[in-house]
Amino acid sequence: MPVVSLPYKYLERLTGTDRKTIIDRLPMIGCDIERILDEQVDVEFFPDRVDLYSTEGVARAMKGFLGLVSGEEEYDTRQSDITFTIDENLRDIRPYLGSAVIRNVNLDNEAIISLMGVQEALHWVVGRGRSKVAIGVHDLDSITPPFRYFGSPPSRSFVPLDFTEEMTLTEIMEKHPKGRDYAHIVEGKSVMPLIEDADGNVLSFPPIINGELTRVTENTKNILLDVTGTDERAVMTAVKVITTGLISAGAICEQVMVNGKPCPDLSPTIREVSVSACNALIGCQVSPDEMAEILKKMRYGAESAGPDTVRVRVPCYRADIMHDWDIFEDVAIGYGFDNLNFALPPTSTLGCEHPVMTRSGQIRVICCGLGFQEVMPFTLSNDATMYTRMQRPSNPGVLRVLHPISEEQTLLRTDILPLLLDLLRINKRRELPQRIYHVGDVVCDMKTGQKVALASTHPGADFSEAYAVTDALCREMDLLYEVRESSDPAFIEGRRADIVVDGRVIGVFGEVHPEVLTAFDIDQPVAAIEITLNR
Amino acid sequence: MQLALNEKRLLLELARVGFSSPNELGQVLDRPAESVIQYGGLLSQKGLAVVERSVTTHLILTGEGEQYCREGLPERQLYMSFGDSSPMTELNRHPHAKIGLGWMKRLGWVRIEGGVVTKTGLAEPSALESALKTLESAGPDIKKELLKRGLATEEESVTYIIKVTEDGRKLADAGLDLTEETGTLTSDQISSGAWRDLTLRRYDITKKPRPVWPGKTHPYQRLIDEMRRILLDMGFTELYGGVVQGAFWNFDALFQPQDHPAREMQDTFHLKERSDLPSGWEQVRDIHEHGGNTSSCGWGGRWDPDKAKATVLRTHTTSLSIQHLAANPKPPVKAFGIGRVYRRETIDPTHLPEFEQLEGIVMDEDVSFRHLLGYLKEFYGRMGFSNVRFRPAYFPYTEPSVEPEVWIDGLGWVELGGAGIFREEVTAPWGINSPVLAWGLGVSRVAMLRMGLSDLRELYQSDIDWVRHTPVMTQPKGGDC
Repeated sequence: MPVVSLPYKYLERLTGTDRKTIIDRLPMIGCDIERILDEQVDVEFFPDRVDLYSTEGVARAMKGFLGLVSGEEEYDTRQSDITFTIDENLRDIRPYLGSAVIRNVNLDNEAIISLMGVQEALHWVVGRGRSKVAIGVHDLDSITPPFRYFGSPPSRSFVPLDFTEEMTLTEIMEKHPKGRDYAHIVEGKSVMPLIEDADGNVLSFPPIINGELTRVTENTKNILLDVTGTDERAVMTAVKVITTGLISAGAICEQVMVNGKPCPDLSPTIREVSVSACNALIGCQVSPDEMAEILKKMRYGAESAGPDTVRVRVPCYRADIMHDWDIFEDVAIGYGFDNLNFALPPTSTLGCEHPVMTRSGQIRVICCGLGFQEVMPFTLSNDATMYTRMQRPSNPGVLRVLHPISEEQTLLRTDILPLLLDLLRINKRRELPQRIYHVGDVVCDMKTGQKVALASTHPGADFSEAYAVTDALCREMDLLYEVRESSDPAFIEGRRADIVVDGRVIGVFGEVHPEVLTAFDIDQPVAAIEITLNR
Repeated sequence: MQLALNEKRLLLELARVGFSSPNELGQVLDRPAESVIQYGGLLSQKGLAVVERSVTTHLILTGEGEQYCREGLPERQLYMSFGDSSPMTELNRHPHAKIGLGWMKRLGWVRIEGGVVTKTGLAEPSALESALKTLESAGPDIKKELLKRGLATEEESVTYIIKVTEDGRKLADAGLDLTEETGTLTSDQISSGAWRDLTLRRYDITKKPRPVWPGKTHPYQRLIDEMRRILLDMGFTELYGGVVQGAFWNFDALFQPQDHPAREMQDTFHLKERSDLPSGWEQVRDIHEHGGNTSSCGWGGRWDPDKAKATVLRTHTTSLSIQHLAANPKPPVKAFGIGRVYRRETIDPTHLPEFEQLEGIVMDEDVSFRHLLGYLKEFYGRMGFSNVRFRPAYFPYTEPSVEPEVWIDGLGWVELGGAGIFREEVTAPWGINSPVLAWGLGVSRVAMLRMGLSDLRELYQSDIDWVRHTPVMTQPKGGDC
């Protein structure tokens, strides 16, 4: 989740209240305070509330939550005569574009930092690392409308941001730091997305880099916003979050005609919601009027529209409101979780342990009774531990993860004994005898099963001990077993046996082979047993 | 006063001789000297004897000293290696030439003139040479010399004298019963009644026994079992299921959008195997694309069945909960599961790629968010966290969502898990018409708080001594119970 930095001075100016009040109440609208610094507070908001990714957005929400204002913020938009066309040749590459003109901006340092911050956060959360949505802001006064968004051959060149020389699109993708970061999004396409003005000046090469020409500075008075992407809803969300934020800071928004359609549309969405459904979900008892008041505190437009209905105007920047319940959650937050009457419901059910867990518990009782200590090793392992050191061939049913993080965790364990030997290695300097066991999941052929393994190490650990423990274990597990000579290479020949139940081999025990011990860096004999539990 | 037989025998002997050394006493009592010192110690604790310990230092030969004692000092060896005289060049080939020549000259055994070494005829055995044979008789100067030349070192030796005290003598004079004591009581002695005539040796209860380590469950398993017990007591049914899950159940059925970063290889362990979609998958597709028959607008775009067929290591136990609900869509349902889950995280003290998660769900006709908070308060209270508060939160599959925080002395408010009501987008495809309260909890996080661990790896790659020394009845750390 992105961390948003909120400078106190700017926040205090926008809300008209003091920093302490804000910091105290901030978590109750839904965020984690990362750190409180001298000049700013760093806050982690949840990824659904992209409207809170700017100081302006947080100020807007807090003013309502603290009771300083009530109801929605209204956004006037004027029609500008600026037009944008989207070329057909981008249909399969990056077909959507949203735009707006924002005039009369006062970009002091804090506002610029806030604008950069919200842009960066939107790139990650809504834009999925710019692949779904990419945002560009431009100094409108350095370019001439109308604007054109089209697919250009990669040989086209312009001066990208932070450079002084013209570069071709191909060169930018190879040499510009942003090019190297984001080239993968458009790589291999025959044409590249490009935005140019009436004079053929390049504004932007989305989703990679803007032109140096339209750089935004503290002197910028009028902004042109471009948002391009592969998902129309996400593109419009980004446009709305940025423009409403700038309007909250005092700017004026003008619509741009994009392929003949005015953009952005900052009007709210109307939802008529049921008050009783809300009360039932949250467990409160509010009237339509009370519910409307709470929603206004949460910066919705709302009024009672019948005995069980509230008409809600959802602000355009609330991209997270997908369902009536999303509104009900805001009622709960506005009502205050602490004001709900916590209680256990009258639901009557009987507790029931899972049979696999019952069995594991019983096996723990047996193993502890035999003097063994439980250990809880990882379920992720690797070929070296699971097979090579055990001198065993790898299990054909083993599942390997596609992109392991380290050589230590490349597969899901098919056996438990190798992990016990690894634990004996870790504990080789500890007092002997050591007797350890584990009962737990193993995975083979996509199926999760269970095994129990025991290992005993001390100077006298031998086949007889393994046999005696196996015998006791099987007796307590009520298994009628026979033994057969085993061929398991992890054990010493003539000191190993398979455990057979109903004609099927269900386990093995014996003295662990010295080659195996050496491979695990163990220098004492080990008597060991492993039994499959599910049949 | 209770005396063991050996103490009595020592006391009687001491009363006779007054005082003696452990060696001599040992010979009389037919016991090793060390045992006599031990009995003397026991008598002195009772004020019947005094054990005087004295430390003396004496010289012993070093390895070099012993060698010279056998073969002669370097100067003697060199002296013996030639006749009346020898050229220097010749003598220099001798292994001891360097030390030997200087000493021979200093002791006046030889003269050196014009590169020729000539014996003076005066080569009496030096004081040092005789001291090597009889170390104790050496004078202080010679001793110093021996130490300086590294031929001898000092060693401490401890000697004991045991004396009887006035009380001891009185007790001995009054007479002591010297009946034989019995160590191990035998079966015969018990059944024959012979035990009545035996004097059983008394044990010294001040001596600690050698520790024995009982077989026992792992401290972490005990915490897991404690949580299971609480939920079973509260009437929950336990869930258990496979760690390998289709992306459908792990993500899509939980309304996780298909382009959500958590689904990607970066955060989730993927396998090359593919999973089949269950019947009813089309409802989930509709929910994602446009909200199906609910008031939801869905995520929009196209839902790709192929993405849902990916196979992953489950990233949460919620994949079990939703399958349980899909199979049991009629209320009431109360279920929980504790199982291993997987995230593609690099190992460090507080992050592991696998860890335990607890999840509980309650589905019933009239349950609501306030009941969820009620369950959370009850569960955490039974875990020993009596001070709980709730903050708004976000999870893709719950609405409303909440993060419980518990108060821990010394740490403050600590976030402990997440909870919410399953979104209608999650429940509707399976014909579930009642609200589903759900909460999840990182069990290993609770373990760290309760056991005061600073490194999660301790749970899975345990030091056996930690398991041995963690009592079964551990008092919780952190919580306020």
